[in-house]
Order: sequence, then structure tokens, then C-alpha cells
Amino acid sequence: MPVLLSEFEEQETEVAMLAGMPNVRIHYIRGPIWAKTNEQIKKQVIEGKSPVTGKPAMAEMVEMLTKPLTAEEKKTGELRRDRGPATYTGTADELQKLYLEKRYTDFMPIILPTEEKVEDMLKGTSHAPDEVVGRMNPGSDAGDTWTYTVKDCAVNAVMAGAKPEYFPLILAIASGNQTSINISDNGFASAAVVNGRIRDEIGLNYDVGAVGPYAHANVAVGRAWNLISINGGNCGKIGTTYMGTVGNAQNALATIIAENEEASPFEPFAVRRSNSPAGSGYGFGNAPGGASPKYKRGDNVVTLLSGWGVLSAANWKVNAWQSLMDYPKIIKGIYEQQNPGLFGTFIILSPPIANFVKDAGFDTVEALNKYVTQPDPAAKAAAPAAKPGGRGGFGMMGGGVDLIVTGASNNNYWMAGGLRPGQAIDIDKWR
Amino acid sequence: MKRHLMMAAIGALCIGLFCSLPALNHAQAQGKRAVPAAEKITVINPMGTPPPITAKAMAEPLSTLDGKTLYLVNTGFPNTERLMEEYKKWFQANYPKTTIVDQRTGMSNLTPALKKELQEKADAVIFALGH
Repeated sequence: MPVLLSEFEEQETEVAMLAGMPNVRIHYIRGPIWAKTNEQIKKQVIEGKSPVTGKPAMAEMVEMLTKPLTAEEKKTGELRRDRGPATYTGTADELQKLYLEKRYTDFMPIILPTEEKVEDMLKGTSHAPDEVVGRMNPGSDAGDTWTYTVKDCAVNAVMAGAKPEYFPLILAIASGNQTSINISDNGFASAAVVNGRIRDEIGLNYDVGAVGPYAHANVAVGRAWNLISINGGNCGKIGTTYMGTVGNAQNALATIIAENEEASPFEPFAVRRSNSPAGSGYGFGNAPGGASPKYKRGDNVVTLLSGWGVLSAANWKVNAWQSLMDYPKIIKGIYEQQNPGLFGTFIILSPPIANFVKDAGFDTVEALNKYVTQPDPAAKAAAPAAKPGGRGGFGMMGGGVDLIVTGASNNNYWMAGGLRPGQAIDIDKWR
Repeated sequence: MKRHLMMAAIGALCIGLFCSLPALNHAQAQGKRAVPAAEKITVINPMGTPPPITAKAMAEPLSTLDGKTLYLVNTGFPNTERLMEEYKKWFQANYPKTTIVDQRTGMSNLTPALKKELQEKADAVIFALGH
């Protein structure tokens, strides 16, 4: 019999059900136990009452160990899981309220997904409405894996306010099976980088404010990813499928970033990653689940990323300008501060900063990565030896430094953080 | 005078046209026709499909704790050793005929050796603390 903290009752009920034990007897106590003395535990837990049933705690524990199973507890076989009715009918106000209460939304008003609007959205792809697009869980075994079809994605794309021409990109993202709202107590953010002609075809912004919500396509596609995660993958539900300790503001809208390929001195992100030698040591060409296809400039590709997110980086120091700004060295410093990390170091450079990096002698991102990840001999000698069985292996998950170039040239700004590039998906397959 | 009247009429037409534009745009933005607020419409459920789950048979509880072996398995969550100490004291005081055995495991997995020991020797097991 498990003893669990009552704060997790809702989640543990769900976990037990997913494990095929919906009626398992769980004894709940009120937390925290951490840092309490024996006397406190005796008084508050042993001599206390169950925070769930109100019964004397130890009497309940003995009862759970010795009381015969009820008829309900003896039931076996397939459990009926209800996704609800196929449709809902009401006035617009009633339906907005219903979808909010059922947690079908991101807490903001939606475009109501009528059959007519969903049919229009389905015109954005040649794929059949009942084709399964993907399978998604909230990021760990704590949640189960749901499936969703092209039509399910169309419904959520309508709700997000997307246009049919965005739909192939939305389906490509959904086919990656990656939630935009991870369950982890870390509070992960998600992002997608878009390369290719589709950026202009659907009006993605890669100029001023490229990483922010300043174009309809960026916003609607990011919102659609969130809604597909919430509804298609049953993610982002506090208590069951979301446990971010302090949360992450970047979960409000999954970040859709179009790279400014034309202003970048480097090869486009997806092209560079997919053509780097396998085993190069920092993730390029090593997409999870197998090698990426080899992409070329102009190909329409979306790359999914996950991690802690990005923040405005050390752009300049007071009284330190121009020649004092050694950007490769600053990037190396950020990498060393973050390493070893779960996600490596991800940099978003504006075109001027990217050109500073190139002018500093780094013609390729691979060359920059080699410089940045080269251990400083003095720092290496001073570093404590890794403990056997320690968490050092996590550092390899993210690898080294990767970057994209986007935004405008009106000033020297850039961002850095932890985002791990994953799958690079061909968007045109979903047209 | 006629000229003044004509100018006034043109002005009124312009104001009318100007005032009607927002309403027209609003209707267009809502789709092919605006939906009156009280009209009922039908919308589609946005949820995906959950996987099927098969309920397992539960083990039959003990008829009594007397003469049985109860394992207290510490999962390693901080301070659980104190919680287990208090459980042990309580069972020893209230169920002196029950054998209490302490064990330790990881937070997310049970070692094969401990699993085998529990299957062979334990009548009941209390795992703590989960979070």
C-alpha cells in the first residue's frame, strides 16, 4: 500500500487508473514531511487524521490492509474512457463558457469550431480527416498517450484562429508527437523554428519582434500547438498532467520562430543541422528517433525545441561597447555557466550580432561550437571529478551550442537560454 | 438653397456609409454571416482519443495483521526514515504479534532483488513516501 502526500491525490488517482488500478487503496498524509522531527511526525501524522477521509490515520491504514475488497474493487476488464460527446450545442456565449469550464481552452476566448469552419480548415491539407497525425503524452509516464487525427487538429486550429494556409505547418508540428506544455516540475517551454519558403507564403514574421507575438501566423500556429497539446494530448491540466513548480510564462503561447535566412551569414538552421556529420557531438544531424532527412535551402522545415526557454542575454555592459564586445567569448561564458545542462545552450542572434560572430573568424556555426565547447584547461583542472552514478550524463542530452539568426538590424540584441533542438519535420508532406 | 440641401444630403450619405463600415467588417470577420447572440449553434469536441485501459485484479487484503510480516519500504524521499520509524513504533506497540521488516528502495523503481524478497516474504507492504 502506498503512502502519498494528499496534495497529489488528484494526480495519483489518475496515475493509478492509468496503471489499471483505479481502486487501489492509497493512504494519504498531509505534507510536507521533509524537515519535520520525529515528534512532529508522531503528533501530526501518526496521531492525526487522514486529510482526505477525516478518519484517524492509523486506524484507516489498518483498515486498508485488512478490509475485504468491495465489489467495485474486484472489477476487472476494460475501463470505459469517455472523451465526451462528438458535438455540443448552445449559444455562442454558452459554448465559450462550456469550453472554458471543460478546460478545452488556454483560458482565452476561442473561435468556436463549427462544422463549417472545420471543413474550411481541412481544405488546407490533402490528408484524410480521420488519418491519425500523432500520439502525445505530457512528457512522462505520469500521463497516458493520446492519439489525434487530422480533424482533431483542424478543430483545434480553428479554435486558435488559424487560417487554412497555416494548417500544413500545424499538422507538421503535431506529427512530432511533442507536447508544447510538458508536465515537468521544471516548467519547460517549447518552440519551433521554421525554415523555407513557407515563411513568406503564410506571413510568418522574421523581422522586428521575430520571437514575439507580432504576426498573426506566428501567434495562431503557436496557439494551435498549445490547444492540440491540451486537447489532443490531454496535457497542461494542473493536478494531473501539469506540475511546473513555478510555471513558465512561455507556455502562454508556444513560440514559433521563423529564421531570417536572408540576413544570416550562416546556412539555415534546418539545412545546417540535417547536413552535419552524424556523431559530430552536439546534436546536429542527430534528431531523436533517427537521422533527419538532408534538407536544402528553400525546403519547408519545422524544427521542434524544448527546454527552459530563452531570455535576453548579455547584450552589452555599461561602458563596454563595440570592440569590447567579444560575442564569441560572451557566448562561451554563457555556455560554460550552463554546462552541464539538460538542453545545451541555444542562442538567438539578430543579424548584426551574427555578423560580428562571423567577422570574429567563425564562418560556420560548427566552428563557433568547437570554440565554445573547447574546455578551458585551467577550468578543467579545477573542476571536481564526476561522481559515479551522478547526473553528469544529463549534460550530454543537450550537447553544445546551437543558434538561429532572426529579427531585425535596428540594434545589437540577442537572446540565450536552454532549448534543445529535436525533430526537423518536412512541412510539405502535410499539404 | 438647393445647393445647400444637396450638400447636406451628400454629407448625411457619407456619415451613414462611414458608420455602417464597422458593422459590415464585423459581420465579415465572423464568417459568411454574423451569428445572432441567442442563436444556437453546434460545435465539435476538440479532444483526442485516450488509450484503452484494462483494470487489473487487486490482491485480497489480509484477514488480520497478527502473525503476519509487514514490510516498511522507504522510497528514499527526504526524511522518510523518520516517518518509517514512527510507523514502526506504532505497529510494534499496537500489533506486537506482527513482524516488521525495514527495507529501502529508490524513488522510481524497485530492484529485482527487493521485488523477489517482497513476493516471497511479505504479507503486506507499506511504501512511503510518494510525491
